[in-house]
Amino acid sequence: MINVAQVSKSYQRKLVLDDVSLEVPKGQIFGLLGPNGAGKTTLIRILNQMASPDSGKVYFNGHTIQKEDLQDIGYLPEERGLYKYMAVRAHLLFLAQLRGLSKLKAIENVDYWLQHFEIKDWQNKRIASLSKGMAQKVQFIAAIVHQPKLLILDEPLSGFDPLNVDLIINEIKALKAQGTTIILSTHNMKSVDEICDQAALLHHGQILAQDTVQHLRSKHAKGQIFVRFRGNMLGFANALWTDFTLLEQQEVLPGCFECVLQIRGQRSVNDLMRNLQDQVQVEHLELLLPSMQEVFIDLITQKENQHV
Amino acid sequence: MSKFLLLTQREIQERLGQKGFWYMLVLGPLVVLLLLVALLLAADQGKQELNVLIADPGQIMDHRLMAQEEKNIHYFFLDDYLELDEFERAKSYHDFDILVELNEKVLNNKKCFVFYKDQLGLDARMELKFQIEKRLEELIAAQHSDISEQAFRQIKQGIIFDFRDLKDPKNESKEANAWAGFIFGSFILFFVGLYGMTIFRATIREKSNRIVEVLLASVRPQQLMLSKIVGIGLVALLQLLGWGIVLSLGYVLLRETIFVDILDPSHWGEGGPERLNPLSILVFEQLNLPVLGLHFVMFFAASFLFYGALFAVLGARSTADADGQQYLLPLIFLISFGVFTGIFSVYFPNTTLTQFFAYLPFSSPVLAMIALAKGFNVVSYTQILLSLLVLLISAFLLLKLAGRSYKNTILKF
Repeated sequence: MINVAQVSKSYQRKLVLDDVSLEVPKGQIFGLLGPNGAGKTTLIRILNQMASPDSGKVYFNGHTIQKEDLQDIGYLPEERGLYKYMAVRAHLLFLAQLRGLSKLKAIENVDYWLQHFEIKDWQNKRIASLSKGMAQKVQFIAAIVHQPKLLILDEPLSGFDPLNVDLIINEIKALKAQGTTIILSTHNMKSVDEICDQAALLHHGQILAQDTVQHLRSKHAKGQIFVRFRGNMLGFANALWTDFTLLEQQEVLPGCFECVLQIRGQRSVNDLMRNLQDQVQVEHLELLLPSMQEVFIDLITQKENQHV
Repeated sequence: MSKFLLLTQREIQERLGQKGFWYMLVLGPLVVLLLLVALLLAADQGKQELNVLIADPGQIMDHRLMAQEEKNIHYFFLDDYLELDEFERAKSYHDFDILVELNEKVLNNKKCFVFYKDQLGLDARMELKFQIEKRLEELIAAQHSDISEQAFRQIKQGIIFDFRDLKDPKNESKEANAWAGFIFGSFILFFVGLYGMTIFRATIREKSNRIVEVLLASVRPQQLMLSKIVGIGLVALLQLLGWGIVLSLGYVLLRETIFVDILDPSHWGEGGPERLNPLSILVFEQLNLPVLGLHFVMFFAASFLFYGALFAVLGARSTADADGQQYLLPLIFLISFGVFTGIFSVYFPNTTLTQFFAYLPFSSPVLAMIALAKGFNVVSYTQILLSLLVLLISAFLLLKLAGRSYKNTILKF
């Protein structure tokens, strides 16, 4: 859907994007991650054609991205803004038409989304009179009202209460199910774990990693295993022998334990299963994968250590 | 609807939705109208004591005027032409305030010159006109027809009185007209400044509440800037139109009530014309208001594009209102400079510098209004149009440059 090819961009001699290349597959949710100042906003502005790259190209559906493609792109910026003295419906109609919808289609879509988000009663209220969460909903609608093929969401969950976070996450999933490609720039790693198919980590203007979320987590797995069993704790500990280290243990029910183990050396999950076979009754065993939060910190730390 | 029109329409709707616009639309011109009436009434100088010398080489008037003479105006006759220099400087004419020059064919060409040493009150002008015109009518009626003097007045053509300052007998400076033009020109810059500030503030507001980022995901920065200038400019024009309508109604009302068309003899009673002052004459008789109004709009539109681009760029560079004030200072100086060049050109109408200012985009609106108020011929009107063209070209070039600067700065928070 989107292919960023060797894009570089400087502002006042400061290199903000350094030879960035990434590919966002069609119909997927792509997490664009990175600490503050990593270059995410600049990259997003280039995708939205608010800024042009100094070098490199951006391809949209196979062709070099053009002004006309903006009609197929929806954008929710991190810093939200609306005209405070416009009424909700009028504002949405204005933005929908700016995105290229005819007046009739704009009316149809706006009314649908107002109904869908249950804010129809607020349609004639001025933006200034809305709560922050309500205004966020209006902004979210503004980003999707023209049924974009590509939706760029910059911190879409910030400012929402937990209830509305769920609502927005469900909407994002629903849009994906309808075939919309979504780029999600966020610091909320829980949401990345939950909804992103792929992710790229941008740091100091460079891509540190790009892969499916599952692969990224697997690559950074630290060899920890979760086990739940019934039996004797002493027998379990003896069975670990010198191949595994017991990190945590908890008796959740009488005679039922949950433990976290660290694999030592070249041992594997199969070795553990063999060791435990005659000692305890294993109910659940799982190789623990790091969260995206941990992957994120891990990658940044590795990069910082390289610099040192 | 195109994106540009959508943005422009939103700008217009936002301004029209503000109460301030409507207050200003009605109250603004009413205040101006009231001030004008006060000024016109205050300008009445009362009755002046005057000695009038009538140079009548053809002895047409036979040393005689009508029976009812004003006691404060004293008439004397000279049976020859008199050089203006001599009238101004010779000791023998020192006591005379006015020289009326009746040419020998005045009964046919119906034109006479009136030269005055000091500015004449309208009372005096009207009285003078009344006395001389009545006497000449009497003579024409007697010479050319058998009808009565009264019947003749119904069908006659008026005598053209050309009042001229002795120090400016060719009436080159037309100072009063020039000042009137200056006021029109200053009003252009006043409105440009007023609505330019609106562009400035609107740009800062869009930037500080970050809606600009949403808008720029759909439109080009230049499009956004131009739509703001055009939208707010159209609102300003609408406001001006409103002012024009209210002021025109006021003009008609005043002319029908307080300041009746006293130069039209049909409005004269038996006792002669009503009293009126020179400022009223200037406003109601000498200024070509429709022409001034039309050019006012043309120059306003062009200068709004010119200055609007500057206001928009400054708005894009600023991050907050307070921050923007310092950027505004040079722009306020430029507008003030335009006003000062107007004053300069009133006092020094024929200098090279005035010619230069006439084409300078910062000052040309004021100088064009002055030139139009003083009256124009083909040559001077061509110069006015040329200055408008220069202003328009400068505005378009500036818009192009401003668009680039706007693009580079609008997303810097």
